[in-house]
Amino acid sequence: MSSPAETLAFLREVRLFKDIAAPELTVVAASLRERPLKRGQVLFREGEVGEEMFVVQRGSIVISKPVTGRVEQVLARMGSGDFFGEMSLFDRSPRSATVQSDSDATLLVLDREALRRLTELSPRAAAAFFQALVQVFIERLRASGDLVAEVTRWGLEATGLDLDSR
Amino acid sequence: MKETDASPTPPRRAKLELLVRHDADDGFDVRQIGSATAFVQSRPHRVPDESWELAEMPSRMAGQPSYILKNTTTDRFLLLTEPEKFLWQKMDGQTSLQEIATAYVLRYGAFDFDIIPALMRKLQRAQLLTLRPSSRLRQVLARNRRRPMVKAIESGLTALERINISSRNVQRAFTAAYRWGGFLLFTPAGVIGCLLLAVAGLVAGVKLWHAGGDIVAGFGGHALRGLIIVKLLFFLTVAAHQLVHGLALIHYRRRVREFGFTFLHGFVPTFYVDVTDIFMTSRRARVVTAVSGAGVHLVLGSAWFLVALFAPLGSFTQAFAAASGIIQWQAFLIALYPFCFIEMDGYHVLVDLLGMPTLKQEAMSWVGSLVRRGASWRMGRQEAVFALYVVVSTLSVAAFFAFNVMLIVHARS
Repeated sequence: MSSPAETLAFLREVRLFKDIAAPELTVVAASLRERPLKRGQVLFREGEVGEEMFVVQRGSIVISKPVTGRVEQVLARMGSGDFFGEMSLFDRSPRSATVQSDSDATLLVLDREALRRLTELSPRAAAAFFQALVQVFIERLRASGDLVAEVTRWGLEATGLDLDSR
Repeated sequence: MKETDASPTPPRRAKLELLVRHDADDGFDVRQIGSATAFVQSRPHRVPDESWELAEMPSRMAGQPSYILKNTTTDRFLLLTEPEKFLWQKMDGQTSLQEIATAYVLRYGAFDFDIIPALMRKLQRAQLLTLRPSSRLRQVLARNRRRPMVKAIESGLTALERINISSRNVQRAFTAAYRWGGFLLFTPAGVIGCLLLAVAGLVAGVKLWHAGGDIVAGFGGHALRGLIIVKLLFFLTVAAHQLVHGLALIHYRRRVREFGFTFLHGFVPTFYVDVTDIFMTSRRARVVTAVSGAGVHLVLGSAWFLVALFAPLGSFTQAFAAASGIIQWQAFLIALYPFCFIEMDGYHVLVDLLGMPTLKQEAMSWVGSLVRRGASWRMGRQEAVFALYVVVSTLSVAAFFAFNVMLIVHARS
């Protein structure tokens, strides 16, 4: 288990928290709790209810979406400093994908209560947090467009379907 | 003056990353599947027979005939060349694109890399084709996954299929092996030497057969265990078999694309070498490549028989060498004997000579239709070949098992 100082040092390197000043970041660090994951362990499945987001402190996380039977499409891989699960944090909707660990990993859990405390304590810190979050949202939106294009291209190549000449 | 290569870089093939969960536990595997891999393993399936008609288009011009393919559902027509008609007939939903391409090369002796994709596009546009992604065995297993035994078999096959130890960077090693002595195997002196050794081995084998009881006694009452050890050691010589196939490729100045170890069909452990480049050469080269690999077992078997002949009567060495000789010769015969339902070297030579690259699949399909729809004894040349293949193969497999049972009984008595 990491010490508070280690957690704080780690958060300073995380993009989501990089613009938050030290005093507020200390409060954030104190409100996070660690969640260890064994290799292969599922953190949550698509459709489950959740109200937390996770920051990967150590290890590798795979986010996937069921396709057929035992097969799922890998949507993204998360490493140290990446975060996921934020959609349920805001809208309390069921999880949109399944998350599992590809190696022994440690996650930091941020729940709604911690986020509320940060907002009350320092609106400026909260604004910095949301600003960074939106930046990452935009990048992910663009990446999901690329993924759709890649999957479509895969389908065309794998089936030999040629629409150019139609 | 140095020329610059102005050819554009080919576009990167798309890859899908898939997560496959284990049945037995909570674990999973993440696999990257390239679109090219999926393409060559796909099994194009033409629409049902009642949905199309094929007619030869008479032509007064010399040359290959043309064919009209009609989709009777949509009334669309396609003009096919003779090679395209050949490919169309192979698109039965059971034959993968890789196998179809091989069949094409064996039939026409060359390969046009554009013809299959172009034909598939044409057929898809005319709604005459679907694609089937996996083998029939795996489909049957998947359908019956609820049964514990089937589930166990499927999991076992999946686990074994993942075992593949191979290298695609072997051309240099094979070239060196050829230069440092491998070439001798393909010289007249080398061939004559192997044949003389085979004759000497045959003579030794006949002499040993008469003293069979005394030789087997060398295993000291553990004949069955001894034979199993011999079988396991034999397995290593399969690597030598594949090495010689690779040397043959070098001899004909072709490329060895891959060498490795895997589980064939998910359950047969084997070494393998990718010899597909030999399809770009002559039939003679293909036959030599096929036969030379099997020749390894002839040579090794003969050597073992000679060792057994000169070893002390009733010794362990003699028993071991004689058993090894029998197994090597058996492997030689199986590899070259085409009638055993296994697509080994002899089968490839046979289909090459007959010009029927998918003989086994077509013969089995023909027998299947006979069983389902009732027999029709009016047979053309092709049906006669199918019947002959199935009958001779069935008898051969039965004889093979009978021979092995006899050997074991002989050894135990």
